[in-house]
Amino acid sequence: MTMSTIGELLDHFDVIASNPKAQLEKYVGEGKKAIGCFPYYVPEELVRAAGMVPFGIWGAEGTINAAKEYFAPFYCTIAQMGLELALNGKLNKLSGVIMPSMCDTLRPLTQNFRAAIPQVPFIFLAHPQNRRAPYGVEYTKSQYSNVKKNLESIAGKAISDNSLKEAIRVYNESRAARRKFVKLAGQHPESVSPVQRSAVLKSAYFMDKAEHTALLTQLNAQLEALPKSDWKGAKILISGILADSKNLLQILGDNHMAVVADDVAQQSRAFRLDVPEADDPMTALALQFAGQDYDVLLYDPELNKRPEYVVNLAKENGAQGVVILMMQFCDPEEMEYPSLKQALDKAGIPSVSIGFDQQMRDFGQARTQLQAFADVLNAKH
Amino acid sequence: MSARYTMGIDIGSTASKCVILKDAPNDGREIVSKALIPFGAGTSGPARVIDQALADCGYRKEDMAYVLATGYGRNSIEVANFEMSELSCHACGAHFLFPGVRTVIDIGGQDVKVLRVGERGVLDTFVMNEKCAAGTGRFLEVMARVLEVKLEDLATMSAQSTQRVDISSTCTVFAESEVISQLAQNKNRCDIINGIHRSVAVRVSGLARRVGVVKDVVMTGGVAQNSGVLLALEKELQTEIKTSPLSQYVGALGAALLAFRKLGNLEA
Repeated sequence: MTMSTIGELLDHFDVIASNPKAQLEKYVGEGKKAIGCFPYYVPEELVRAAGMVPFGIWGAEGTINAAKEYFAPFYCTIAQMGLELALNGKLNKLSGVIMPSMCDTLRPLTQNFRAAIPQVPFIFLAHPQNRRAPYGVEYTKSQYSNVKKNLESIAGKAISDNSLKEAIRVYNESRAARRKFVKLAGQHPESVSPVQRSAVLKSAYFMDKAEHTALLTQLNAQLEALPKSDWKGAKILISGILADSKNLLQILGDNHMAVVADDVAQQSRAFRLDVPEADDPMTALALQFAGQDYDVLLYDPELNKRPEYVVNLAKENGAQGVVILMMQFCDPEEMEYPSLKQALDKAGIPSVSIGFDQQMRDFGQARTQLQAFADVLNAKH
Repeated sequence: MSARYTMGIDIGSTASKCVILKDAPNDGREIVSKALIPFGAGTSGPARVIDQALADCGYRKEDMAYVLATGYGRNSIEVANFEMSELSCHACGAHFLFPGVRTVIDIGGQDVKVLRVGERGVLDTFVMNEKCAAGTGRFLEVMARVLEVKLEDLATMSAQSTQRVDISSTCTVFAESEVISQLAQNKNRCDIINGIHRSVAVRVSGLARRVGVVKDVVMTGGVAQNSGVLLALEKELQTEIKTSPLSQYVGALGAALLAFRKLGNLEA
């Protein structure tokens, strides 16, 4: 295989990230079954081990019409758009969906989806609040076993321990490659724009992970070989649930802001932690969830731990400021915001919160805020 | 060395403003022209305001050493050498008028912004309203229309209020129906207007407290011309708020000042 250039690879990831429909049709056309994986923390390894393709569904940019029958306007657009896609028949090619219920918004989505979309087999997943204690791990394992059983029924075959171990290996490799890419993209912002960075990470949700890792490994190798960057713009950390809006990310690029790290649910929070080694792969998957941390969606009795984590993440990666992409009406993110802001203020790290949702069409106000934020960061350094 | 001129253009959502500055002794700046057209982004306002500012001082576009655009419509100004966010421009403009400024409250047509300003007028931190017209100039326009009064008469009428009437501070649409309901109950319009001003003050002060209110506090933007809002805000924040007859020009003034800074960087 000839080596593609950085630009060619980035373009390829962008094509896939921009057109999930084509990607889904491709897999279905190849005779594969695809399973929709809604946020958050779906054990996709089970889908792969069943010989099917996991397909990430984190809403979509668009207008909400049909889903308004089910949700009030002040509702998270990931949930609204997820149902909208299904109501418009856009998820009919999926052989099933796995839907976690980690927040108060996703929970009603699961039940509305189940009632409104009978044509798509539905797998409910309830993660435990107390995930670390042995009973929590046992609970996760029982939930994952239920997911496994349902997937086996859709696939028409049993998931063997060996196939699951192999899937875990593929996923751990993918997570490691994505973590490495996040570092490299931050070190070479002149070669990877915020929009391109997002496309690389987003495309992983629509690609066979081994295929994605193979391309990403090529990209990482080439980024690693680049000379040290002499970036003159500001360096930022982005935080939030989603950071895939091209319009918003373009504004970061226009104002010479480099994303050197992220605390985004759709990005690094999703691949921070590998599945540990364990004899029983189902236990290993449950232990991975038990080990997850520093996420507003996860129960944590230590209130300051997560804000401190974000502060340290910013410091360790040389971020001069933090851009919080505040998903409109996201209760967990909005509830946490004051403590996060306080921790950043205390650490002397400037931050700005930009409200957005997947229906947003006008980015004038965001442009004004981000441009001013770039001025603030540039004046301080 | 002959005098240098810069132009700052602030294209807001409801008005276009333009300020022309020239060098003055001791690194100072002098306003040689200013213009305001009550039409904003996407209208004839931007072109007209530039023409008017130039006509008033008798200079041509070519005489401007640097043109800097700001405001909501800043991206569509062809004559501009550069564009900057109005937040940075308001910080700079307010510092020029009030060197002791540390907090700027800018209430424009569609946005409310509260800025914390460091020494030398550099923007330190800021907060802006979300996508909601409550507390903005547009909110007052809507209310004036419902009350059948001129926008410029709101302050005088508010001062004549004798009874307290409370108007919600959460949403322009709901507040409008509240005003209609108060009118239907034959409540005095001056009292209602006073309530509207208090509603704006509550909304804006909530935002201001998020960044922290440090003296001197300066109010900029078109709404600063309304003494009713200013008084209500002073009461709500329990602090003196300074303003200037040039309040509406502060963004354009800041842009023209920052244009000099850009010019300095180019010449350096």
